[in-house]
Amino acid sequence: MAISIGGRLPEATFATMGAKGPETVSLADRLKGRKVVVFGLPGAYTGPCSTVHIPSFIRTAEAFRKKGVEEIICIAVNDPFVLKAWGESTGATAAGISFFGDADASFTKALGMEFTAPHLGLVNRSNRYAVVVEDGVITAANIDKPGECNISTGESLLATL
Amino acid sequence: MIAVNDRLPEATLIRIGPEGPEEVSLLSKLKGRKVILFAVPGAFTPTCDSAHMPSFVRTADTFRKKGVDEIICISVNDAHVMRYWGETTGAKAAGITLLADADGAFTRALGLSFSNPKAGMFDRSRRYAMVVDDGVVKAFDLDELGQCQISTGEALLSRV
Repeated sequence: MAISIGGRLPEATFATMGAKGPETVSLADRLKGRKVVVFGLPGAYTGPCSTVHIPSFIRTAEAFRKKGVEEIICIAVNDPFVLKAWGESTGATAAGISFFGDADASFTKALGMEFTAPHLGLVNRSNRYAVVVEDGVITAANIDKPGECNISTGESLLATL
Repeated sequence: MIAVNDRLPEATLIRIGPEGPEEVSLLSKLKGRKVILFAVPGAFTPTCDSAHMPSFVRTADTFRKKGVDEIICISVNDAHVMRYWGETTGAKAAGITLLADADGAFTRALGLSFSNPKAGMFDRSRRYAMVVDDGVVKAFDLDELGQCQISTGEALLSRV
């Protein structure tokens, strides 16, 4: 299932960190009747993800909310423990960004966004994308080429709204 | 499952070097040396963070005084995550080497993988600690799932 405007994201459940530990969340539940930004990246603590991609959504989080976006969700093939620590250390959690762990990469594979770079120790990770989803339907989509972080940034996606 | 007197299999592990991620041959680390190897289910998970890693940070100097050449922590995480975890826990400052078994191949080869899908953990490593002399396992302490008792630094010290 490729990402396309007018299409839908694959049905998926994710691991996220709740008050009492890891919890399972359904993506469909979070998308239903809401306007949501979803962006995917290769991994917590990797270079451009920490220095460019996440900061771009921290900077733009307020502007997205002013445009009616109810939630900004970052998806990565990491576990919820790592994502929690990363969300806190980058300031993304404080900026109200949610982190969903696609721990077994099933969502990323269903989306056709996975890549593997064994010599970097990255297995079934996600290429970069950012989408706006309204009531489950993709209304804007910016997909970066593998290895790049250009059009999937917060500023680039904001410009589509 | 791996056992005392077994020779550890070769494995390619990953760490972050000056130029970024680099591959490390486990056997090159073990050959002719006395090494402590311990493994955790995951960086930034509560018990690993608050109990297991600190136990080796506390005992690292004592292990070295007993002739241990290197203390290596292995986890099925990527090397980026391991690097930051090593910094936030003080493990790097204590001289502990963190190596990523990114695809879980080493952990599976040892027969020590487990999954807990609810917690988003797949093919992770059970908690263990071993003394390895010239590539041969001389002591091996494997904790029960969910526990962190016999694989701590203090517990392993008595075995060196």
